[in-house]
Amino acid sequence: MDPASGSEGSSAPAQNGQPEDGSGFKLKFCTVCASNQNRSMEGHLRLAQANFPVISFGTGSLVRLPGPTVTQPNVYKFNETSYDSIYRELEAKDPRLYRANGLLNMLGRNRLIKWGPERWQDWNVGMPRVKHEKDKGSVGMEGGVPDVVITCEERCWDAVVDDLLNRGSPLNRAVHVINIDIKDNHQDASIGGGAIVDLADSLNKAAMEEREKVGAAAFDAGGAASRASFDERVPEVLAEWQQRWPDLPSTWTLSWF
Amino acid sequence: MAADSSAPSETALSVAQQLQQLNTARKVVLENNSYYDKIVKGILPIIGHNAALELRRWGAEFLAESLATPVLRMSEKENMTVAVLETLRGLIEGADEDMIVLKASVAAAASAYPVALRWIIHNSYHTESWEHMSAIKSKILQIWDGAPVPVKLSCIKFAQRVVLAQTMSNGMEQKYGGLDISLNMIPPNHPLLDPRQLEAEATGLLDRMLGVLQDNSSDAPLVDATLNCLSILMRTRPSTSNRILNTVLNFNPLKLANSPMTPKTRVLVKSLEKTTRLFLTHVLKRDPGNPMAGRIQQYIERLIRSRAEIFDEAGRKRALADHAAASLGDAKRQKTEGGLAQVVIPPLGPGPHTLAAVFTLTNNLGLAAFDATQLPVNLAAKISVRALVALDKKVLDLAVSGIRDRLTSLHAAAAVAAAATQPAEINAATAPLGVDEDDDDYEPDLTPAEDTEQILNKLDNAPPEEPMPNADAGAPLVLGPFKLPPPPTLDPNVAAKLSQAAASRVFGPLSSLKEGAPLRKPKAGINRLAASSYDRDSWLTLITRLATRSTAGLEDVNSGIKPEDAGSALDRPRMSLGDTIREILYNYILEDWRRRIEIAVAWLCEEWYNDQLTKRSGSDAPLHYENCALRLVDGFLSYITAQDKVLTRFLAEIPELSRPLLGKLKALCADPTTVQLALTTLLYLVMMRPPVRDIALDTVAEIWAEYEDARPLAAKYLVKWRPGFIESQAHGTSAPAGNNMAIAT
Repeated sequence: MDPASGSEGSSAPAQNGQPEDGSGFKLKFCTVCASNQNRSMEGHLRLAQANFPVISFGTGSLVRLPGPTVTQPNVYKFNETSYDSIYRELEAKDPRLYRANGLLNMLGRNRLIKWGPERWQDWNVGMPRVKHEKDKGSVGMEGGVPDVVITCEERCWDAVVDDLLNRGSPLNRAVHVINIDIKDNHQDASIGGGAIVDLADSLNKAAMEEREKVGAAAFDAGGAASRASFDERVPEVLAEWQQRWPDLPSTWTLSWF
Repeated sequence: MAADSSAPSETALSVAQQLQQLNTARKVVLENNSYYDKIVKGILPIIGHNAALELRRWGAEFLAESLATPVLRMSEKENMTVAVLETLRGLIEGADEDMIVLKASVAAAASAYPVALRWIIHNSYHTESWEHMSAIKSKILQIWDGAPVPVKLSCIKFAQRVVLAQTMSNGMEQKYGGLDISLNMIPPNHPLLDPRQLEAEATGLLDRMLGVLQDNSSDAPLVDATLNCLSILMRTRPSTSNRILNTVLNFNPLKLANSPMTPKTRVLVKSLEKTTRLFLTHVLKRDPGNPMAGRIQQYIERLIRSRAEIFDEAGRKRALADHAAASLGDAKRQKTEGGLAQVVIPPLGPGPHTLAAVFTLTNNLGLAAFDATQLPVNLAAKISVRALVALDKKVLDLAVSGIRDRLTSLHAAAAVAAAATQPAEINAATAPLGVDEDDDDYEPDLTPAEDTEQILNKLDNAPPEEPMPNADAGAPLVLGPFKLPPPPTLDPNVAAKLSQAAASRVFGPLSSLKEGAPLRKPKAGINRLAASSYDRDSWLTLITRLATRSTAGLEDVNSGIKPEDAGSALDRPRMSLGDTIREILYNYILEDWRRRIEIAVAWLCEEWYNDQLTKRSGSDAPLHYENCALRLVDGFLSYITAQDKVLTRFLAEIPELSRPLLGKLKALCADPTTVQLALTTLLYLVMMRPPVRDIALDTVAEIWAEYEDARPLAAKYLVKWRPGFIESQAHGTSAPAGNNMAIAT
């Protein structure tokens, strides 16, 4: 940091890696799928690699992974089972099967991202996440409140929005909840991960532009589309993104924590 | 802390440096919430409305975060909130304030409002803080309409918190974050707060919030934000719920669909529709008994249909699925639990009933006639416990209430009958005044004056119409250890009879099994497994082996297994299982010996084999082969005719021949018709079974000597097979060793 004083606001250095810094502003994200294993974790990793603060959750009642047959899934509890323990269990059960269907590969990736799958409904929004320094994407997420929630399935979006209605919005904090329909397989999850980062970049750009506007100018010119606020521009950004990703149907709403 | 010390030397540090220090301070409070009070108060001078924009933004956002944090309890927040109000007021009232600062400040005010209100309720002397809060409120309500969208969103949320705090709660929600602060907490005589005025204000604010829906606005962020914060009001503030529901049900989220469909309108329409639908679904789920539930359901279904029409390219499948889910419930999670089992408890007809009839719940006449008193008490108890454990509680409840109803109606009927038969002796003391005793309109009160218990007692005391089961009502309901009664002692004769019956049952299947069809029987080869084809032959193999080997090794007389039985009453009449089966097998064969000769051969083979095993084992268990063979031959020799070539075959096939056995053939020679058969059989053995040639020839010689009638034929064979024998006989000298002769030929 240069000790020189007097420079204000917009002239601050751009790429200093500080998410809190005005110019290096980063929206905080949260990815959600059913089991917090495949799609949300792919999104989590990709957003973290793009230097976004990010956390991730699952909305299912239990973590469900494919087993030897359709009727014998491997089932684990949220918040109590680590990716590493699941990895070791499946490796001991049938290394050939679980390597062939990509589960071990996925769990091996996940255990490098964070400790274990977390359940959305059990999450205490706003609880400081200072104990998660080793998680990827934890930098900037210390406050425990994301700006944007991205779900990977309509069902999860419904669950998230319904859960927020249930909580009664005690934090008075607006949050954009966006669904992107991603099929639950490794290939589609990977494509979806790219799409999520693209959306995050677009949203972040809009948010940064909002923060660059200063003072009364923004207040007076509220109507002009080009100068519109981030919250207003989210549907527009999503519509543009949808043009680029026509195979991933999306839904959006503005809700409250 | 760092921020605290930096406050006086603000000018000396750059904004970036200050921000860095502030961020450090923030991390400290996030890690340890006991610093909140100190640090929040410490940074207030740095972030005031005169500070640099960056600092004000940071400060407002930090205040919003801190006042909302779930880690502090309401009481812990109070002090901090009151301390913050003045700075917050400065930020909100600052002329031409930055949008981001305003947005965060209004959000902070929303969190502060219920806490401040609660503070004022309990500390009415502190007028200053209420003054700040009121000023903040009026400023927010003033800028609401003209503010840019992000600030407007915060204003909506602020208004929601004011409505929440200033309406009566139904006490359904006890939650953190001040959601439980309501008008109920404000005493009517509070010096600063007038509940009626506050409630009126809340009503006005709710209307203002709902305005965006009433105008059928298509400003999706505002509509979504409004809808998404109404649920808590619906749930916990009954005075608002009708107003909200009516407004939402009159809102048309699809209005925008009439304009040209750009990608953006598509996003907006979809968002408005889904948000509205999810809100109503949520209401329906939380309160299925809502009087407007029907309207809500209709509205939701209409929305799904319209939406399907609008987005019909992608929507078709999804809409159908949604529709199905709405009407049938989640197909993936269908309830497997069926409805309550159909237990119908038929009412009792008129007439006297036994206690048993009152408690009989089945329609099955046979079952109903079953006299449960025949069961031993122990067994009945066991059955009852089992049944009660397995019984669905609902079924039991149903049955109990059914019986209770029966008793009630019985009692009522009895009362009616009593009233009819004995024309009421009216007790003058209790008779209601003005009731004429032959009042035709008199309706007996059908509800029993006694409770079920008393009725039951009465029924118990009534002379039983049939002997009561050992129902000792007073007996403690403790199950003693249950023991089966010892079996009756077994009479040796009965035992023998029973075992014979058991053995004869073994032959039962033979009559039902079909005769093996020899034509299509494949050659199974030497490696075949006996008794593996499950036909009659297999069964016979099984029987013969049962006869010969089932008791093998148990018959050893000297083995000491049953010395004490020797000579006992049981011993003599008893036959071993094997012998019993042998006996029956023998009879079975003789019943139709010509056709069952094969079985006889098979049996004898097994006997012979078993005897060999016995001999090898060196035990002195009895040998059976010889006896059985002799007995069999004896058995059918008496029925044999000249045509019965099976004799030849039988003797050729059984594993061992002895002198006594062949000696039996001599009897045949007494009858001229069977001489030929006997001698031919012997000749066959001479020719085909060299090991027994000598015995056979000896037998022929004996026949020659003993039976005049057989002599010509016997002589013919002897001449051929034992040359010189007849001559030697004639000369009175017997051949010393026929063996040598035989070998010589």
